[in-house]
Amino acid sequence: MESSTSTGDIVALKMIVMMKQVPDAEEIFIDPVKYTLNRSQARGIINPSDENALEAALRIKEKEGGEITVISMGPPQAENAIIECMGRGADRGILITDRVFAAADTYATSLTLAAAVKKLGDFDIIFAGESTTDSGTGHVGPGVAEFLGIDQVTYTIDTRIESGMLIAERELEDGIEVVSTKPPVLVTVLINSNLPRRSRLRLKVDAIKKGVEKWDHDTLSLPVDWVGLKGSPTLVGALKIPEERKRESRPVKLEEIPALVDELVKKGIIKIGEDA
Amino acid sequence: MVELINCVVPEHPEEYHDVFVYLEHKNGKLTRGSLEMLGKAEELAHKLNEKAVGVAVGKNLKEIAAEAESYGCDVFLGAEVTDFSGFSSVAYTEFITSFVEQYKPNIFLISGSREGRDLVSRIAIRTRTGVAADCIELDVDVPNRLLIAWRPSFGDKTIDQILCKRHRPQMITSRPGSYKMPEKVEGHKCEVTIKKVKMAKYAGEHKTLEFKQKDRLDLTSAKIIVSGGLGLGNASGFKLVKDLADSLGGQVGASRPVVDLGWIPYEHQVGQTGQTVRPKLYIAAGISGKIQHIVGMKASETIVSINTDPEAPIVKFSDYFINADVSKALPKLTEEIRKVRAGTPASSPG
Ligand SMILES: Cc1cc2nc3c(=O)[nH]c(=O)nc-3n(C[C@H](O)[C@H](O)[C@H](O)COP(=O)(O)OP(=O)(O)OC[C@H]3O[C@@H](n4cnc5c(N)ncnc54)[C@H](O)[C@@H]3O)c2cc1C
Ligand SMILES: Nc1ncnc2c1ncn2[C@@H]1O[C@H](COP(=O)(O)O)[C@@H](O)[C@H]1O
Repeated sequence: MESSTSTGDIVALKMIVMMKQVPDAEEIFIDPVKYTLNRSQARGIINPSDENALEAALRIKEKEGGEITVISMGPPQAENAIIECMGRGADRGILITDRVFAAADTYATSLTLAAAVKKLGDFDIIFAGESTTDSGTGHVGPGVAEFLGIDQVTYTIDTRIESGMLIAERELEDGIEVVSTKPPVLVTVLINSNLPRRSRLRLKVDAIKKGVEKWDHDTLSLPVDWVGLKGSPTLVGALKIPEERKRESRPVKLEEIPALVDELVKKGIIKIGEDA
Repeated sequence: MVELINCVVPEHPEEYHDVFVYLEHKNGKLTRGSLEMLGKAEELAHKLNEKAVGVAVGKNLKEIAAEAESYGCDVFLGAEVTDFSGFSSVAYTEFITSFVEQYKPNIFLISGSREGRDLVSRIAIRTRTGVAADCIELDVDVPNRLLIAWRPSFGDKTIDQILCKRHRPQMITSRPGSYKMPEKVEGHKCEVTIKKVKMAKYAGEHKTLEFKQKDRLDLTSAKIIVSGGLGLGNASGFKLVKDLADSLGGQVGASRPVVDLGWIPYEHQVGQTGQTVRPKLYIAAGISGKIQHIVGMKASETIVSINTDPEAPIVKFSDYFINADVSKALPKLTEEIRKVRAGTPASSPG
């Protein structure tokens, strides 16, 4: 795919932010029959690391110019989260919504989102969060990159453009890797890597006027058995309650703390005179 | 562009054999996560009467193969990169996938480290199969050669069984720290094949410019951990946690919400999406004990919890339960430990 910056002309950067609306906190229920997640009762918020992904895109837009499209796959209510993103400075919002997309695993989700990106045409950078708080696999970003056949830079804490190249810092277990690559590229952004701005009322009003486009499997020319539960190689077989190693749960009152410390020392659990 | 191909293709599971494990290595050594996975691969291979096959990409793979052999790996497949320019997902995916396509493994285990999670989804999609992420228990249905993977569910009480019935390989990740380290195996012989590859063609202009080494807090080897949760009330509550940890010579842990709130950096997070720990002593202060936290600390030897709610799930998982406010119990514990320490000459053996 030709990047819009590599054509020689000064063309505005085209950025895409993949955003998922997730249930706030713990109000999640499992459908006992189908073993699928029932999100309807919980209030939706922008997935936390997706807020950082959007912020990273907005900062590049401020410096380099360009255009940001937010795409989200989810139920109709996810429109609110898209409007919120537009209120922060995204230019366009697309909601990929269709009952047949329900219960997709990361394979089918990545395929559907990649189909949406293909439909959008040329782009330079796709930003995704590092993982979602409700499923938390972190597989969808790289999955989309694979379907599109483009490079990826994961776990970023900083991204910038220098002479047409994307420079990114990745936070790994043992240090920070600074990477340079040429767009088109997919970047995943770590939670708390920047401070997401708030939406502005005027932009939000504009967003509501402009509206959010809605695409379904027909718009994306995706056969129904490629998406949702049918298009998912993995399935949930059964549920179980975790086995607990029997622990005593011995109650200890505040005034019994000295005795507890004593016991832990006697049992050798706390070692005195030796630094752990 | 890779084509948008769906996964509903006829597969022949019976053509797939043996257990692959991705051997991630740093500075010439296998990472702890990949050693744990190698141990699991051997365990599963043994049950299936098959082989544990390690696959690796990078430089100096002979040394890596030798280390894998010493831990009981049966077959080693290496892609020795002759023009190494740093890690590249695209190039690594290419090399690993070519091993999968040639060898046709039935099961493929990858440590859920950052590198593992970067790669697993691309490899799975390239080979048109599924992945179960962050599994905490693995088993096999031997007659059907089906991998039974368990991962904590989205809710907070149950564990889900994830199956991949038609597609091969059956891929999973588990976080480092999830399983015990394997034992060394004396005199074991591993069949080693290392091929030379060039990455430039696949990595294109992707290059590592610089690597700033900085060791992240490793809770997996800590002997004592004091963790704080939302019950601390606010960020300054961690002062009390830190004081107690210091008095014990231990480390500070945390639940996820307090990390998300920015009270403490992510490197302190314990649980499904944080680190999996097994210290001698784990003190949970103001943590409710939701399943995603429990899976990361339940292997601790002794667990002490502090909670105002006697019904909190953490209570069942505790050896000792202090039913009190953290603002009272934490300083009291710290004070007591300091007293005991002061009363004993620092040189006396425990
Ligand atoms: C996919 C996924 C992955 C997740 N990964 C992780 C993970 O890796 N790690 C993790 O921890 N969580 C994880 N979670 C979140 C998890 O479900 C819980 O939300 C979280 O563990 C709860 O944190 P907490 O115990 O600090 O907060 P809460 O559940 O709100 O508990 C606070 C506790 O403090 C007690 N308390 C309140 N005031 C006081 C006081 N003054 N003194 C003493 N006690 C008090 C309360 O009684 C309560 O029990 C994950 C969730 C999902 C969906
Ligand atoms: N339904 C979705 N719609 C849009 N983006 C998504 C969706 N699911 C996942 N993503 C993106 O992929 C990232 C990783 O998600 P996950 O693999 O679910 O942890 C998220 O942070 C989002 O940026």
